[in-house]
Amino acid sequence: MKKPLLIIEDNAQNLYMMQFLLEKSGFTILSTMDGTKGVETALSCIPLAILFDIQLPGMDGYAVAAALKRHHELAEVPIIAVTSYAMVGDRERILAAGATGYIEKPINPETFVSEICKYFPPGWDAEGKL
Amino acid sequence: MHFSVLHLPFKHFFLNTFLCLFFCTGTASAIAQPLIVRVGLYENPPKIFTEDGQPAGIFVDLLNDISRREGWKLQYISGSWAQNLDRLERGEIDLIPDMAYSAKRAQIYTFPKVPALSSWFQVYAPRGHHIHSILDLNHKRIMVLERSIQDTAFERLRKGFELQCELVRVDDYKSMFSRVQRGEADVAVTNRFYGMMNGRKYGLEDTAVVFEPSDLYYAAAKNDPKHLLPTIDRYLSEMKAEPNSLYYQSVLHWTSQKVAFRWPLWLKIGGGVGAGILLFSLLGGAILKYQVNLRTRELRQINQEMEERIRERTAELATITREQVSIFESAGVGIIMLRDRVIVRCNQKTMEMTGYKYDELIGMSTRMWYGSQKAYEKACDQVYGQLARGETHRRSQQVTRKDGTVFWARLSLRAFDENKPKDGAVAILEDISEERRAAETLRRAMEKAQEADRTKSSFLATMSHELRTPLNSIIGFTGILVQGLAGPLNEEQSKQLQMVQKSSRHLLSLINDVLDISKIEAGQLELSHESFDLNPTLTHVLSLVTPLAEEKGLTLEFQVKPQLGSICADKRRFEQILINLLNNAIKFTEQGSVILACQAKENEICLSIRDTGIGMEKKELKEVFQPFHQVESGLARKHEGSGLGLAICQRLAAQMGGVITVASTLGQGSTFTLTLPRETTIDQSQEVHA
Repeated sequence: MKKPLLIIEDNAQNLYMMQFLLEKSGFTILSTMDGTKGVETALSCIPLAILFDIQLPGMDGYAVAAALKRHHELAEVPIIAVTSYAMVGDRERILAAGATGYIEKPINPETFVSEICKYFPPGWDAEGKL
Repeated sequence: MHFSVLHLPFKHFFLNTFLCLFFCTGTASAIAQPLIVRVGLYENPPKIFTEDGQPAGIFVDLLNDISRREGWKLQYISGSWAQNLDRLERGEIDLIPDMAYSAKRAQIYTFPKVPALSSWFQVYAPRGHHIHSILDLNHKRIMVLERSIQDTAFERLRKGFELQCELVRVDDYKSMFSRVQRGEADVAVTNRFYGMMNGRKYGLEDTAVVFEPSDLYYAAAKNDPKHLLPTIDRYLSEMKAEPNSLYYQSVLHWTSQKVAFRWPLWLKIGGGVGAGILLFSLLGGAILKYQVNLRTRELRQINQEMEERIRERTAELATITREQVSIFESAGVGIIMLRDRVIVRCNQKTMEMTGYKYDELIGMSTRMWYGSQKAYEKACDQVYGQLARGETHRRSQQVTRKDGTVFWARLSLRAFDENKPKDGAVAILEDISEERRAAETLRRAMEKAQEADRTKSSFLATMSHELRTPLNSIIGFTGILVQGLAGPLNEEQSKQLQMVQKSSRHLLSLINDVLDISKIEAGQLELSHESFDLNPTLTHVLSLVTPLAEEKGLTLEFQVKPQLGSICADKRRFEQILINLLNNAIKFTEQGSVILACQAKENEICLSIRDTGIGMEKKELKEVFQPFHQVESGLARKHEGSGLGLAICQRLAAQMGGVITVASTLGQGSTFTLTLPRETTIDQSQEVHA
């Protein structure tokens, strides 16, 4: 079975845009709009990667990153924050909280997918295969 | 000792004049060449002696009279009797008055024919003696004048009567009498003249022992070389013949004056003392009265001056007092005089402030300034300790008025004399209600402003997210469409969607600028600090703006050496500054070129962006870094922009410890230069104000 890519994003339009671009590139997408549910989903399916927003209802991005990092099952899963750069220090803070990477909004449709792929182990494709 | 012609007593004047007329004939020649006559002078009063430093006595009177009439110049040479005898023998003097004749002396000296006086020797003894005949002198201690006739005569007498007595020889009569008086000898042998004159003075009286009558002469040196004796003989003869002559007067004078009745000593002393006291007291009284009058006048004058000065000083003091009272009463603060923590005086303002009347305040304790008795007592040590050090005690507190209302007051307390602070202190009471209200208002305004600032920051953070989220959506989907990911587009659709995309990106940059400047001005912009290579960074920046330059047909030159080294700064903000400056340069240049040059120094780098654009006027250069500034020329208006770009760049550069300068010529182009230290100091506290 093809491993899904989990997106935790509360903004429907942003979610749709990311999902559209990633699906176009052959990724299977699982999505949730709530931080707490996102962590549960991640544990239940062990996704290919996790994209998450910082501003989230229920559990914000920092808490999500910290929660995901506590589970060694997810140790090898890239956790990538996707958020607007509001304040200097956001990037450092989210990386410190446990995120593997950081992508700034607004996303550039032309480079978005390739930026995600940078966080995959070398040789992976959209299906998570070598 | 030499004496010149001596004066005669005044009372002899008339007689002398008479004698002068009488003998005038024989004297005329002598006056022309005065004959100097040296006369031996010794002490044998009243015949010859020294009185008040002048020769005196019977022999002197007579000789003076003779010499005056003869025109002699007398020189008295004093010495003892024995010395005089020697001098006369050697011819050093011409005459010795009062010498008794003896055969032996006649061989050495020359005697005149006429004796001057006749005398005898007599024994004198202290009063109450029991000497009635010469036999009574047996076993007595007897004083005689050395080498005198009486000495030899008494010796002869003593031998004749076989007396066992001790002879004491002395130099002069005076010491002889005083020594007998002191009891050093029993009796003194003297001549009758000396005894008559001086016996009583020494408490001695004459005895019945009288012997050796003798004639006394003016003896001259051997053979009388100056022929004085005949002249003396002549005068003496004449004077002796005349009962009222100077001869008798002199004898009477010198023998009676000294033996005249004498007041008893105690009476004399008493009388003298009494008279002295009387005289002294009269004199003293007069002097005292004079001095009192003088002093009284002085005092009166001083008194007048003092009164005048007191009047002036009183007037001055009255003026000063009036001035001080005016200041005191018109002061805008309460002034209170205290003694031992009790009000003794206060001004009008104190009454107005406290609502108490003057009489109510006077005598009131400062207890009213304290909330409790305990606080009042506690303050005593602290406050008065400060006053005793000469300091001013200051505090702010609430004071209760008479009607019970309360106001805030500032109290300043100081002692008049720091050594005795309780004896007197002044308290200044200021109503600071208004001040405190103003401070309170200010504090609230500050709080409000801070609250507003927090709200603003919060608003900005929210806006940052809320504005960008939909914009992200617009830009993203437009991009998807333009790329044809959602399906193929015709040419017109593609063109219009690209316009949407461009406008969206511009809107995003405007929003970012507003957020940046807001954060900078609120001091909330934080910078990161990382080391990065300059060359690849500059290449990257240039690649970002190259499409714009190419679009306008401008040459973009890159005059940068290959090894610029690294810089430690906020990389993204560094890029932001350069992109902004390059975009501006391209934006305001219609033709020509934009050149990026870099000068790398050891501690700093200088990046300059030179364009061949529209340039600026001088006055505009000052304002170019102000927020919301836009070039106002007609040409410029067609350029879009928030007017914040340069303001942000300048502030970012400053926050990194650098600066942006500009040089420009209108119509020819501008050069913006960014200077940054290689090791940027991050001054987070720095606030850049517009």
